[in-house]
Amino acid sequence: MNLLANLQHSINNSLKNNAFCINTVLYSYEEFAQIISNIRISIKKFSDEEETNIGLITNDDIYTYASIIALWLEGKAYIPLNPEFPIDRNLTVINQANIQSILDSSDTIVFSKFNSISTINLENSEINLTPAQVSNDTLAYIFFTSGTTGTPKGVPITFGNLSGFIESQWALDYTITEEDRCLQMFELTFDLSVVSYLAPLLKGACIYTIPKDEIKYSYIYELMEDHELTYSLMVPSILHYLRPYFEEINCPSMKFSLFCGEALPLDVTEEWSKCVPNATIANVYGPTECTIYCMDYTYSRNGTNKAHNGILTIGKDMINTSTIIVDDDNNEVEIGEEGELCLSGAQLTHGYWQNEEKNKEVFFYKNHNGVETRFYRTGDLCCVDKDGDVLYLGRVDFQAKIQGFRVELSEIEFHAKSALNKLNTIALAFVNSISNTEIGLVIESKAIDTKQLLGNLNEKLPKYMIPTQIKFIESFPLNTNGKIDRKKLIKLFTD
Amino acid sequence: MVKSTEKNLSNFLQIKKYKMETITIKETISKLLESILDHNNFEMHDELTAKDVDGWDSLSHMMILTKIEEAFNIKFKLRDLNKLKNMGSLVSVIQSKI
Repeated sequence: MNLLANLQHSINNSLKNNAFCINTVLYSYEEFAQIISNIRISIKKFSDEEETNIGLITNDDIYTYASIIALWLEGKAYIPLNPEFPIDRNLTVINQANIQSILDSSDTIVFSKFNSISTINLENSEINLTPAQVSNDTLAYIFFTSGTTGTPKGVPITFGNLSGFIESQWALDYTITEEDRCLQMFELTFDLSVVSYLAPLLKGACIYTIPKDEIKYSYIYELMEDHELTYSLMVPSILHYLRPYFEEINCPSMKFSLFCGEALPLDVTEEWSKCVPNATIANVYGPTECTIYCMDYTYSRNGTNKAHNGILTIGKDMINTSTIIVDDDNNEVEIGEEGELCLSGAQLTHGYWQNEEKNKEVFFYKNHNGVETRFYRTGDLCCVDKDGDVLYLGRVDFQAKIQGFRVELSEIEFHAKSALNKLNTIALAFVNSISNTEIGLVIESKAIDTKQLLGNLNEKLPKYMIPTQIKFIESFPLNTNGKIDRKKLIKLFTD
Repeated sequence: MVKSTEKNLSNFLQIKKYKMETITIKETISKLLESILDHNNFEMHDELTAKDVDGWDSLSHMMILTKIEEAFNIKFKLRDLNKLKNMGSLVSVIQSKI
């Protein structure tokens, strides 16, 4: 598959179609092509030819999406930088990825100390969508996710990985056509955004985004009803927010309703199926390391659905991924036995960005069906049934998902401890009254004022990683193994 | 003449009632916010938005709306939620329901 050539053809064949609806404004593919071409000229003019990793300020506008495509057509990778993230965190990413140039559509440039290239108010050039030569090993993007030691870790994804993903996405038969109106609800720092804009662009469909100052779940509902969306990928936490209003929702136009990023409860899915009476509902699964998602399960409206503890199965691997479930010594476990889910295949990243230590920890080689194969340990505890469907059981480590974002709890503890002059802290994920996950922080101390602490955390961490509740305890309870009893601490927030 | 005075008086009372309600509604919301967010570092005015208030994020938003529904014995429609751009619009949506 030649991804960029396909993209070029799709845009050229859809010039009269709407490409985006951003904050109620429609943009045609022709306008999109024009802006892409203009930005390409600026990239060539103002960045070094050798530069491969380019920063991108993630605004919700046509210029930001056009910048991604422009960078790709120039054979360069984008590294999303959310202007609302703390400056410290963005600088860490910029340094780690060795970024010199940053594309920025803001009225006032965000990073004036770097080679910021403005993507707005550019002169119109000739439309040029001809892609540069790229190989399967050329980087398409690097996304940084929460790291255990206080520094985010980069996941580089190549055009080979991305082509592998798109090929297996098409094989799912959740077909998108140029008639479709597709939801893009994700921050561009979250890799589920990639499929949400790329799949529609490859088919000439229209993409509907969420303005940053809107409440996501209610805005999604209005888009679904008022613009008769036909295709959506959402995180399950949106369903938890919408659940009290399910009776008001009726979207017969929806053809495909996909979920990813968090555990999907079966009961909520059943209730949701009545809101989207004509839609095929699917649960897809995958970490950023294996390019967006790599496993899929189609929800059955009339039959029975497999679930464990009320959580819908994540189904089977997609065509370019092979999965195994292993014990601590990387031996495959028997059917029905629990173990860690491991992934391999064309979508799997070559490894974390300049992080050999972490790579040794989570990637390993194993003989699989007679071939020496590289696998990635997901940290997800799973088991497989006799039909080959995989059930998600929980995490093997201290990672949590907050609205789909991966959060290493130890990263929060790291920053909390340094702000508190070494007081002991434990960060916990707990499920709140509407079944969404929140972060609580327990401090081993008498009650103290936490304003300074929250101020410090806000300077270091994105909003979704900031604890929403803080409790104090004079000494942490221990379990029978002498370890801090996190289950007891969680009760501080849930009882 | 008499009629007109009556009308004026009635208008005056209407406006007064409206104003009192607005003030009571705002006071109630202010107390709710204080109890949910654990602080009162905000000033109640019509242009106040969630962004201006520490801790009023998408997580606490749901809880705040639920508490407001309970306090005024009303139920927001999903469509109402997008109209809640600031304190002024919140108060008028509440007024339209009580």
